[in-house]
Amino acid sequence: MTVDDRLSATFGALADRTRRAILARLASGEASVTQLAEPFAMSMPAISKHLKVLERAGLIRRGREAQWRPCRLEAGPLQEIAGWIEHYRRFWEENFDRLDDYLQQLKKQPGGRNKETRHVRKQRRR
Amino acid sequence: MCANNAGVDRATESSRWDLVMTRTFDAPRDLVFKAWTDPKQVQQWWGPHGFTNPRCEVDARRGGAMRIDMRGPNGVVYPMQAVFEEVRQPERLVFVTRALDDKGNSMFEVRNTVTFVEHGGKTELTLEAQVIRATAVAPEYLKGMEAGWSQSLERLAAHVRSPRQRADN
Repeated sequence: MTVDDRLSATFGALADRTRRAILARLASGEASVTQLAEPFAMSMPAISKHLKVLERAGLIRRGREAQWRPCRLEAGPLQEIAGWIEHYRRFWEENFDRLDDYLQQLKKQPGGRNKETRHVRKQRRR
Repeated sequence: MCANNAGVDRATESSRWDLVMTRTFDAPRDLVFKAWTDPKQVQQWWGPHGFTNPRCEVDARRGGAMRIDMRGPNGVVYPMQAVFEEVRQPERLVFVTRALDDKGNSMFEVRNTVTFVEHGGKTELTLEAQVIRATAVAPEYLKGMEAGWSQSLERLAAHVRSPRQRADN
């Protein structure tokens, strides 16, 4: 799997509500598949399938201990994702600041915006 | 009251792996919605501080495209494309954005859902972003952009703080 594919796989794995709940549970410590299945009205194979997706995305690791194979959270990819989200959030915060300024400007010049819009429409028709 | 509670619920539900942002704008909903769908208006505010949008096309209807070239304060152009999946005036916009590298390849795709709710002449806007795919260069790309706008903010701050010093330079 390439680095690009892995990042996409990580985002893909996080898109599901159940898988996010599983990760949230694992954030407070390792757990067995049975323990992870408890809060969900889901069959064990269904939970196992979710765990496989998480494992493939590098988000969890499963122990080799024979019987209960505890699941553990892998911090690396999650930190990468959190960092990415943080950059994207800051991008939108900037946009919102500018939108706020723009809307305040509009309010200061009543009618100005409508005139401008009409003018533009006329130009396009020509 | 209701609006505040809803905001808290959303904040609790979302984690650091999600992007859910809410901002209240002191303007009626029709005005805010128009600012998102009229290309002439989008051009005025889109992008971080210090950025301009030499190209700004917005075809706000289902299947319509949005093409914005953002030009950073350092002169670097960041092209962005999007397709509208849903346009429900004046309450909801869903669009998938793609940021392109210099070869025109998509570096990341994000589905953005924007909802507009009016409360007494003000508009509560919520943005929810779901990352569909991202390549390894995507974080670097955003970091580069951020460096651009941080610089412009620093210049702005310096400008506001000490106009005399600026005159001396």
